[in-house]
Amino acid sequence: MAGSIVLSVALAFSLIAMTMYFLSYRGYKNTLNYGRIAYHSMAVLVIVAATILWYVLLTHQYQYHYVYSYSQNSLKTGFLIASFWGGQEGSFMLWLLLTSIVGIFLQSYTSKRGDLELRVMTVFTLATTFLLIMVSPLFKNPFAYIWTEPIFIPVKSITAGFLNLPWMQSFVFSDGSSGQSFIKMSTELYAKLSAAGISVNQFIADGKGLNPQLLNFWMQIHPPILFTGFSMSTVPFSFAVAAMMKNDYKDWVRQSFPWVLAGAGILGLGIMLGGYWAYEMLGWGGYWAWDPVENSSLIPWLVGVASVHTLLVQRKTQGKGGIGKYAKTNLILCIMTYILVLYSTFLTRSGVLGDASVHSFVDPGMLVYLFLVIFIGTFLVLGFGMLIYRWKSLNEAVASDENILSRDLALFTAAIVLTASAIIVFVGTSAPLIGQSQDKTFYNQLNLPIAIIIGLLNGLSLLLKWKQTNGQDLLRKSIPSLTISFLFTLSLIIFGGMREIMYILLAFSASFTIVVNVDIAIKIIRGNMKMLGAYVAHIGISLFILGVIGSNAYSQETDMDLIKNQPKEAFGYKLTFTGYHPVENNTKYAFNIQVEKGEKKYTVSPVMYISDFNNGLMREPAILNLMTKDIYVSPLGYDDQSQDQAAEGLDVKLNVGQKTNVEGARIEYTEFVKPDMSVMMSGGDFKMGTNLTVTKDGKTYNVEPILKKTGRDFIYVPVEIAEANIKIQLKKIDPSSQTADFIVGKIKGETATSKTPKEVLTVAASIKPFISLVWSGILIMVAGFFVAVSRRLRESLIKSS
Amino acid sequence: MKNKYIFGGAIIVLFLGLMGYLFTQSNIKYESNFSNVMNTDKTVKATGSWVKDKNYQINKASRTFSFYMADENGNQMKVVYDGTIPNNFETAKSVVVTGQYKDGYFHARDILTKCPSKYEGDKAKTSGL
Repeated sequence: MAGSIVLSVALAFSLIAMTMYFLSYRGYKNTLNYGRIAYHSMAVLVIVAATILWYVLLTHQYQYHYVYSYSQNSLKTGFLIASFWGGQEGSFMLWLLLTSIVGIFLQSYTSKRGDLELRVMTVFTLATTFLLIMVSPLFKNPFAYIWTEPIFIPVKSITAGFLNLPWMQSFVFSDGSSGQSFIKMSTELYAKLSAAGISVNQFIADGKGLNPQLLNFWMQIHPPILFTGFSMSTVPFSFAVAAMMKNDYKDWVRQSFPWVLAGAGILGLGIMLGGYWAYEMLGWGGYWAWDPVENSSLIPWLVGVASVHTLLVQRKTQGKGGIGKYAKTNLILCIMTYILVLYSTFLTRSGVLGDASVHSFVDPGMLVYLFLVIFIGTFLVLGFGMLIYRWKSLNEAVASDENILSRDLALFTAAIVLTASAIIVFVGTSAPLIGQSQDKTFYNQLNLPIAIIIGLLNGLSLLLKWKQTNGQDLLRKSIPSLTISFLFTLSLIIFGGMREIMYILLAFSASFTIVVNVDIAIKIIRGNMKMLGAYVAHIGISLFILGVIGSNAYSQETDMDLIKNQPKEAFGYKLTFTGYHPVENNTKYAFNIQVEKGEKKYTVSPVMYISDFNNGLMREPAILNLMTKDIYVSPLGYDDQSQDQAAEGLDVKLNVGQKTNVEGARIEYTEFVKPDMSVMMSGGDFKMGTNLTVTKDGKTYNVEPILKKTGRDFIYVPVEIAEANIKIQLKKIDPSSQTADFIVGKIKGETATSKTPKEVLTVAASIKPFISLVWSGILIMVAGFFVAVSRRLRESLIKSS
Repeated sequence: MKNKYIFGGAIIVLFLGLMGYLFTQSNIKYESNFSNVMNTDKTVKATGSWVKDKNYQINKASRTFSFYMADENGNQMKVVYDGTIPNNFETAKSVVVTGQYKDGYFHARDILTKCPSKYEGDKAKTSGL
């Protein structure tokens, strides 16, 4: 309750801040201070609300729907903190929190730069207002109580004692297919509980917990970074609209530049960490699947990076007065970066992607869908409405001393190519909206030539002068770099066995970029270090491209059965499965594999376990990092063949009352052995099974093959009738229909032929050459962005003439 | 100056043309009606649910995973996937398989499972104890 109130008051302050800033912009005196106070009050209240959410998560207050849905008692503190953004409500909350904090810095930054604050903060507070409406009790409120909407809670999550209450039975439901029982939590039950003096927090003992795929180290890091990138994209938008409000397009370029760079750097880092998470966790061996959710954060990043290039040209060309080149392009790109972030949110949270994505987001309902549409619509109309309104004044004639061989044009072409890439990803990702879907080949085929062009363009553009360059001069300057990259690519063809023409071209273009940039970087290091940013970033992205080529095109994969203690060869390595051991309090099993090559020995331990969350088998790969390559071992299955032995025989399916003849015996299913419901409901140990009458050679036997649950294990206990040489084991039993599947076999004969059990671990092993370049390349690129930020931050203060 | 626009325009047309062409080439339709799936040799994304009664088979020799899938009208088809059982398969609320139908079964090259935990609303059937 406290959380909802705090958020509602914050919303009021956000509206006041927006109004006051707008009035100040319209020339009112005395309103600016109110705007500032209101903004800071809002930001503080948002921080308070976030702290409350963290507090209720850490103290397991399951009366909150969100706490129940995304956390549980057994979560470690780190994951409890991360469960903040485990669901939709919380991720909106995280976005709001980070946007509010970004706004504090933005307010301080803009207040030192003339009348910038009034306009920028008017736009920025519009964004915080929308986010605050999103987390308000109307839509995705993380502080909603659990009983406000009926929800079925498994009986095992309820404090046991309360189940015996006489009126409780009318709230118990059972699901026939899974045999589980649930309590229907609703306003009626809440009323009953309150009347009996039981708090909901006492009543619900445990939460549902996080999806096991989120229980990864990077869950604590990746979402906050990604959302910081999302939050920062609000800033260039605000600057662009602010420039149009004043109808002055000169200063905003310099002023927004550090923000654009920092935002692109952080968003890029966030996207990469998501890729690394997928690589480390999902076990298919890749880091990028062109999944709509991944794509939707890549699109704004590409557009943001495009804007970096054209903003640079506009800034440079402002030298001789005027607003500079590509003023309209820059406004469009900065507006679109934020619009695309909103579109990304719409795609991933409105339920429209439905079946298209592995990140199965739930349909949030029509209201939220409409609100998201209004959210995007408002900013779209605001951005482009202003642009159309100001279009004429933006048509300032710029001296057209353009030459094909000028750096301005090369930078503009870079922005165009990056935008083209963004359009490709946008089209493919939006395809599910019209019931279509795009294969990975769509993205790969179209982006491959783009990557080649980017590499060549980057290398060449740095050799070009700003205005124009003499063709012969360019040729002379580029010969050394071209030669080096040509020789490098040639060595890849000869020694690396590279054959595909597109990869050869890509490797050539990437190495050309590296050579040119390293050459310049070395010259700069001797001079002014602050100028390094762009070169470092370009070296990073080119290393990344080389890593992509190596790890994708030259990856080898093989499925193999590893029999315990019997070595097997793969890619020149000897792999031996040496046994398994329980890890993490016996909840998971690590399977040790020894990897040997010559003298060197390593051990990798992929993990498999049955998750309590979904009762499914979860597999986690293991990665052996060897500088120039990764050996990636993904477990597929483990078989100790003990099951096969017990289960040798014929399959029989029976309903209560049915009989059949097997192995010379007549078997009749006389009675279903019911589990003890109260015990089963509280998650304790129980047994259920069948009562059978077996007749053979005139004799009748009464036996009970059962399914027994002890602790975490489900065991099918077989029965043996020695005299009749018959063995019966349950294979499957359905408590609602009471239908049972049996395996009926002989006792003798089987023992005679019984095999020595072999332990077999099946794995998919693959080798990923130079995959470390993928990660280190992006990290270098991000570092480059931040070197550039520090330089541009200083420039942004200099008052333009 | 004119040349610049003609040149730029030509590149845009070329780019959009290429993208449009590849879009139609690599596009995969969602299909929730299996009789349509069986009557086309195109690659589709078939959406439906696993038929639990018919269980699933993991063939270790050929390294395939096969099961039966039903669409919302109850039409069933056999699905064979080159690989092993995906994470979350047993508890998946719905399954999306990408591939094509030929020789009497669906050759899946990709399986996507949707976890029921996100659909808690309709999880429990109302059959009071």
